[in-house]
Amino acid sequence: MKAPDFSYFEAQNIEDAIKYKSEDDEAVILAGGQSLLPALNMRLSSPSCLIDISKINNLNEIKIEGDFINIGALATHSDVMNNDLVREKYPCLVDILKMVAHAAIRNKGTHGGSIAYGDPAAELPAFAVAMDAEIVLSGLSGQRIVNAKDFYLGLFETDLKSDEILTAIRYPFLSHNQHLIFDEVCRRHGDYAMAGLMAKVELDQSKINNLDLVYFATGDKPNVAQNTARLVIDNGYDYEKLKKSLASEIDFAGDLNSSSEMKLHLATILINKILNKLER
Amino acid sequence: MDDIKVNQNPKLGSMDRPNSYIGRSLPRENAKKHLEGGGQFVDDLVLPRMLHVAFLRSPFAHAEIKSINVEEAKTSLGVFDVYTSKEIDEYCTPWVGTLGHLGEMRSPEQTPLAEKIVRWQGEPIAVVIANNRAQAEDALELIEVDWEEKDAQVDMETALDDNAVIIHPELGSNLFWTRTVNQGDVNQAFETSHAVVETTLDFARHTGVTLESRGIVADWNKAEGKITIYHNGQAPHMMQHIIAKHLEINEGLVRIVSRDVGGSFGIKVHVYPDEMAVAAISKKLGRPIKFIADRLESFTTDIHARCHKISGKLGIDKEGKILAMEINDLSGIGPFSMYPRTSAIETNQVLNLSGAPYVIPNYKAVGTVVFQNKTPMCQYRAVGHPIAVAITEALIDKAANKIDIGLSEIRKKNFIPDNAYPNKTPSGVPLEDLSHQASMDKLLTMMNIQEIEKEKIANLDKNVLSGYGVISMCEVTNPSPLFYGVGGAHISSQDGASIRLEGSGAIHLSSSITEQGQGTEAIMKQIAADQLGVSMDSVRVTLGDTDATPYGGGTWASRGAGIGGEAVLKAARTLKDNILDIAAAIMQTDKNSLDVENNTVIRKNGGEGITLQQLAETVYYRGHELPKGTNPELLATASFLIEGIPFVFTNSAMGCKVSIHQDTGIIKIDKFWAVEDCGTQINPKLVEEQIRGGVIQGIGGALFEECVYDDQGNMQNATMADYLVPMAYEMPDIIVDHVTTNSGRSIIGAKGAGEAGTGGAPAVIMNAINNALNQLGKEVVSQPITPEKILRALGKI
Ligand SMILES: Cc1cc2nc3c(=O)[nH]c(=O)nc-3n(C[C@H](O)[C@H](O)[C@H](O)COP(=O)(O)OP(=O)(O)OC[C@H]3O[C@@H](n4cnc5c(N)ncnc54)[C@H](O)[C@@H]3O)c2cc1C
Repeated sequence: MKAPDFSYFEAQNIEDAIKYKSEDDEAVILAGGQSLLPALNMRLSSPSCLIDISKINNLNEIKIEGDFINIGALATHSDVMNNDLVREKYPCLVDILKMVAHAAIRNKGTHGGSIAYGDPAAELPAFAVAMDAEIVLSGLSGQRIVNAKDFYLGLFETDLKSDEILTAIRYPFLSHNQHLIFDEVCRRHGDYAMAGLMAKVELDQSKINNLDLVYFATGDKPNVAQNTARLVIDNGYDYEKLKKSLASEIDFAGDLNSSSEMKLHLATILINKILNKLER
Repeated sequence: MDDIKVNQNPKLGSMDRPNSYIGRSLPRENAKKHLEGGGQFVDDLVLPRMLHVAFLRSPFAHAEIKSINVEEAKTSLGVFDVYTSKEIDEYCTPWVGTLGHLGEMRSPEQTPLAEKIVRWQGEPIAVVIANNRAQAEDALELIEVDWEEKDAQVDMETALDDNAVIIHPELGSNLFWTRTVNQGDVNQAFETSHAVVETTLDFARHTGVTLESRGIVADWNKAEGKITIYHNGQAPHMMQHIIAKHLEINEGLVRIVSRDVGGSFGIKVHVYPDEMAVAAISKKLGRPIKFIADRLESFTTDIHARCHKISGKLGIDKEGKILAMEINDLSGIGPFSMYPRTSAIETNQVLNLSGAPYVIPNYKAVGTVVFQNKTPMCQYRAVGHPIAVAITEALIDKAANKIDIGLSEIRKKNFIPDNAYPNKTPSGVPLEDLSHQASMDKLLTMMNIQEIEKEKIANLDKNVLSGYGVISMCEVTNPSPLFYGVGGAHISSQDGASIRLEGSGAIHLSSSITEQGQGTEAIMKQIAADQLGVSMDSVRVTLGDTDATPYGGGTWASRGAGIGGEAVLKAARTLKDNILDIAAAIMQTDKNSLDVENNTVIRKNGGEGITLQQLAETVYYRGHELPKGTNPELLATASFLIEGIPFVFTNSAMGCKVSIHQDTGIIKIDKFWAVEDCGTQINPKLVEEQIRGGVIQGIGGALFEECVYDDQGNMQNATMADYLVPMAYEMPDIIVDHVTTNSGRSIIGAKGAGEAGTGGAPAVIMNAINNALNQLGKEVVSQPITPEKILRALGKI
């Protein structure tokens, strides 16, 4: 389990990294390395070069920009959890990150890395989709912004172009009547979930006005369950009905820890868990 | 010296004397060394001219090698050479994993590298020798193999069917070994039983997951004709014999060094093809060769364990007294029986140990062990115990439910009474010095079952199923020669200790027992210092070096304290006796008026003594001052072995309480209790660490760990991310207490304590889960018990 040979480039700024990347199709970006390095050591991929962006200044900044909180790509999970702005404006993100791996991994793994990698079992891509986040990408032709909903295309497949680097994620603030509630079911604490749910709820008094349900660890990417959300708004929690709706909306893909039936069941009961949390 | 426990062994003297260390929870010194990163593991070793290897391993469970071409790999950067079986076989003779004392075993010869046929995914077929491991791995990708994949016999349950794939055609079938035990007449007893209960349980394969993976550096010195092998094994003298025999080297010229070892759990007490290849390569090249298994190799080539399907039947009378028990166990061991201990022992233990705590007048047990195309399976911590204990205790719970009596009540009705030892297991194995009654009584006072019953009912409203279990068990420890030696294996059941007083007054102790992190060194020191009357810090310990320690078996089967510790005690007593003889001569007084305290020979009636340093200086440097004829021997060596019985048994009672979330199937172990009777506890804290660590490993087997294979025999989860071991979050509070019945076989009276947790936890957890599910009339019968299995049992999916 030793990585195959590769060359290594330590980028000092984004421009260099983009240039280098655009010149070499087989080079890959290295951020925290928590997903990339194990894959290299298992010889699952053999890139020509690792472009290390982790030394680039200011790419880990967390700041407020208008109606958004802007999280720099290199902010580690620990940076984000311990950031005062995030704690004040986005306490739910702190709770979510507590479920991401373990402290040692959170100290290295980056927010941008997780969003860019797009592991369908990861929490943050689903969070970004549920929050309607904007993903900031920089490439040879400058900067562009992609809505998280449009960023995830398929299994580990994103809209990131080969010359692009993800530089930041911008999350709009929740209004006073909006809540982001999440839950997940894992075999062990810190594991990728068997199924997880990010729910953005908009309340009118205590009635649900609007609901976005975004699942993770269920299929090939963050799975949005629009019809099911509609059913919840209209009829509340009805296990059989919701299960049927989810089954028609999401192509559940089983894994070692849970079959597709298990995931469908958990996806359904997660709605109940979310509604119960909402009541509290 | 906090944490003073009463040492209940009169043979060891009172605890309120200076230097009374046996029975105290002293911190172990080598833990600090490891915390500081100062250990020396095999991979830390760098020798001049050392080369590294990587193995090409079969990607298939069963295939034929039509041809293999290593030429391109030989030209890869940094590569020294590439070998296949042809080159290695010249330097290493084949071995066979059978022994003679347990009836007929059938397993073919095995060589370091497979030549034509591969029989499990991970079996090595070629080896690249290079300047470093990365370069060796690069070259692996250049080896061309023309494979012809064959059907694989993956499932043990069909291994004996007519249309099974026969893995070794020369054997005619996939049967490795079978044994039947028959005591009394079970059929007649079942007929006359008031009730008969039955169940069938499944245990998945799992493995040991040592923190430090297997590793070896072999260094053949042609000029001396000597090979030195740095190896993170458990039994250096066993390895010495094996290397000598198969590399055809004079056994006296084989040195095995096992310094720090990061966990073993039985994984590291077997002979592995890749390690034998490394020794052979060193002999061929005359250079040091290093191999460190990576985690992928650990998962597909370290021995696996368990892999049993067992059905059982229990007959009881109206009062719940057991009249008969019958079990039928099937186990799959991969394509070869491991060498030299064989892969029959786990099943043998299942047959020996089922029902062991109880009076069961009629007992029948059948064990069948078959070959299959999976990683070889062999002895791992608590060999056979989880299966034996789980089937026994599951049947007993079913019997209790059937006639509606309490879970502890039915056990108490059937225990072999504490005052009825010596006695025998239902299978006929001798038992002595056990305390099931006292241990269960103590467990019940710790648990408060009435409270738990109340909580069970209250939790039902919260969509949570709560349940509890209580079990009793026997643990095999301190084996005698009847375990392996009698069958022809060169595995010592004797252990030795050598102890000397040095010129500085320091004590040096060496023992044939080895340490893998369990605190062997610490307890050896405690025994030596206690018996000699010296401070702990004056004792230095050497373990794990066949050139430097006495001959002996090493560490396995929970034998370190009970056998190795007794040898230390005997050697220390002899040395002390010699010291007092010399002191009496120097001090011109009667030996009986002297004693040793705090590193000084004192006069019991007062008056000036002499320090051990002064005494040693006199003997070593100014021997002419000693009266003529004084015996100057300041070195004592002693040996110990268990005679007359196969094992010294330990017993435990365990309880646990679980909660199951009905929607998610998630199981939480709320609390775990263990009462252990391992006789004298030399260091109670270390005993409790063993029990807790064992329980955690048992939780792994019960709830998490499984080597998952697909239909073709490919292991699906050979990484630490996918193979789930319990971690801090999954560890419940484990409350440990003790009953002390000393073993009459030794002066110390210590029995082993290393395996009960692993052996008992799966049974009590499964019983607690079924106690919970039983509220809805459901049950689970297959380990690991996953959330999905729970939901399926509940009919939710
Ligand atoms: C044991 C373990 C458990 C884990 N558990 C969880 C979990 O429960 N939930 C969870 O969400 N995650 C989990 N992770 C993953 C962890 O969160 C990773 O840190 C994260 O997925 C990737 O971040 P990274 O900075 O380490 O990325 P890297 O490993 O450096 O990169 C990952 C991929 O993203 C690309 N990339 C990285 N940054 C950028 C960028 N700025 N622009 C363009 N491309 C980029 C890389 O080229 C690479 O392909 C776990 C990891 C481990 C090792």
